[in-house]
Amino acid sequence: MDAWLEFGRGPLFRLSFSLMVLGLLRIFLLTFIGVAESYRRNPDKIVPWKEIVKRTLGWLAPLGKLWSKRPVYSAISVLFHAGLLLVPPFLAAHVLLWKRSVGFAWPALPQPAADWLTLLVIATALGLFLGRAADAGARALSRFQDYAWLLLLALPFATGYICSNAAIGPKAYRTVMLFHVYSADLVMATIPFTKIAHCVLAPLSQLVTGIAWKFPAGAGDRVAATLGYADRPSWAQRARLNGAPAAPAPAEKEARTK
Amino acid sequence: MQPLNAEERKRALASARKPEAIRKQRLAVRYHVEDFDVQERPRRFLEAFAAILKHTNYRVALDHYVRVGAKCSRCTTNCQVYLATGDAKDIPCYRSELLLSVYRRHFTISGVLRGRILGDPGLTDDKVQEMAESFYNCTACRRCHFECPMGIDHALITHLGRYILSEIGIVPRALAVSVREQLLGASGNTSAIPVPALLDSLEFLSEDMGEEKGIDIPFPIDQEGAEYLFIPAVSDFLMEADTLMGNAAVFRATGDSWTIGTGYFDGINYGLFYSDHVLEHVLRKIQAEAERLKVKKILIGECGHASRSAKFFYPTYCGGKNALPVLNIMEYTHQAWKEGRLKLDPNVVTEKVTYHDPCNIARPGWIVEQPRELLKAFCRNYVEMTPNRRDNICCGGGGGTVSIDEIRPYRTLIGGRVKADQIRATGAKYCVAPCANCKKQLRELMEDQGIDCQIVGLHDLLYKAIVFDRPGGEPSGRVA
Repeated sequence: MDAWLEFGRGPLFRLSFSLMVLGLLRIFLLTFIGVAESYRRNPDKIVPWKEIVKRTLGWLAPLGKLWSKRPVYSAISVLFHAGLLLVPPFLAAHVLLWKRSVGFAWPALPQPAADWLTLLVIATALGLFLGRAADAGARALSRFQDYAWLLLLALPFATGYICSNAAIGPKAYRTVMLFHVYSADLVMATIPFTKIAHCVLAPLSQLVTGIAWKFPAGAGDRVAATLGYADRPSWAQRARLNGAPAAPAPAEKEARTK
Repeated sequence: MQPLNAEERKRALASARKPEAIRKQRLAVRYHVEDFDVQERPRRFLEAFAAILKHTNYRVALDHYVRVGAKCSRCTTNCQVYLATGDAKDIPCYRSELLLSVYRRHFTISGVLRGRILGDPGLTDDKVQEMAESFYNCTACRRCHFECPMGIDHALITHLGRYILSEIGIVPRALAVSVREQLLGASGNTSAIPVPALLDSLEFLSEDMGEEKGIDIPFPIDQEGAEYLFIPAVSDFLMEADTLMGNAAVFRATGDSWTIGTGYFDGINYGLFYSDHVLEHVLRKIQAEAERLKVKKILIGECGHASRSAKFFYPTYCGGKNALPVLNIMEYTHQAWKEGRLKLDPNVVTEKVTYHDPCNIARPGWIVEQPRELLKAFCRNYVEMTPNRRDNICCGGGGGTVSIDEIRPYRTLIGGRVKADQIRATGAKYCVAPCANCKKQLRELMEDQGIDCQIVGLHDLLYKAIVFDRPGGEPSGRVA
């Protein structure tokens, strides 16, 4: 079992951590480049920058928004996020591991604060899970990952709490630690490929939406040409009724585009 | 709000279409559609989607939305359609997912791979139908965007979804016919008003105002080099005479040069609702007219979507940095009033007045306080609805749905349900709705919901309160 634990804490951790960092960096850059390209493509350079920054900051620290709609759910969600963001990087034991591994470290949370925050994450994760399951609207929207993530995120917190607080024997400790390490690895490795990618993408959201409403000039004509309807745009009475010849073959379409 | 009862639900969701039309077109939507090709609809949908992705900027937003969508269901609190029906399919995020799932399945590598491995057949005809129905249940009011922690703009998805559908022929006939007349027809406007009829009615209005106010209030026609080219929603010429008279009276009071162009005089742009292609070509018509008359600014009348489509898209399509500035008439009037060039009698309107914010001008925070300041200057009993300003509730006819007459029960029983309650709660005699779409929808809403409130434009009321300086120096006062 020790070998498995070492593998999880060593090579697998490095792989998962790299996947997380590089994966998130990739989508962040792709989005950023996409936005820049969209901005370049459209001739209208009037962008409501102030509004975009204001809304972005508003959602990054949504304290002012909590009480207007669904106060309980929102408060739970904010507490959940606070715990998630604070505990893993600032837990004393984790800071120590970093120090040993890379040679430098940063201040850690006091242990009682970390313990309470851990319990908070577990409780709020369950709260969000139940809230999601109980609310008809949320239930209709939810995919598998929406439920699974709440449980998966709670798992390393629960096992971590047991390891640092429960009086358990060395064997049980190693078993629980194994779950702790592997679940955390799984979380890190999958973050960039699931909705948790919002941890780096959310600050770009308002910008993406703001720029998306800037349409490139001439795009409508080019779309119609690509589809082979340049001479019969959507507002013309199309002679494409039942039985009429279907859209032109791809080769013909390309020719029209040129 | 009164919950929707079974009878109302049945009436609102019933289709006015003939069953054989639905069968023939294989499209179970409530709005009428022209005859179109039903063959291989999913394939053609995907082709249109691909072509649009290739030539536009939507891909960045779709990629982003697909990655960040957290399905938190917070948007349920802000959608007036969902608040009325409680149906999961009316949740903004659910609606967007219809299109986002097609994007994910067919236009992302992971989606294509997963589809292959799991044997997912991909887009089906049923799903195209579901989108055709769902995207026209949305009024594109963008209120849900404010509540999305992930910043997803569901109205953008609705807009894109409708654009793709329109490229395969699925578009409400009411909109398609109007656009055809506007872009290809002899009259060149959505209401098919010929120029002689326009001139006649303006002359008539001018005479009317002369009798009423005792001074000459003209509608300048084709004045080259005027400061402002005035472009209202064309339906104002037919149905909103009071609004037009108010507009002309303001210019008479300020003395600025303005003109209506006979080459093009229609601000309506359904492209904002369903097609970037239409959006661009309609704006190009405004541009051509502005260039012909060598005006300095474009002034849009009291109409939310006409104002937004010109203000926010004219620079894109008509010259970028060099594009002419676009203003809404309320901005102009407000500015003139602040500068003291427009005098209003504060004692004319004594009845209770409330103000409805049209989504297209209020949501971006563009025109929010100006009409309020004006109204408070001449209405003695002004009350607000709640919520208001940028967080206003849509009239229920947004996104072009108001022009689709066959879905009126849907609009007045579901779409406008929250709005009706809001207006009822104010107990106002007049509800000022400075938007051609909102006016039509709200009038139908008042009628169908049995509310005694008169829907007017801002300039309709303002017209009553304008005080003219007579040549002799004494103000004209109010002429009964």
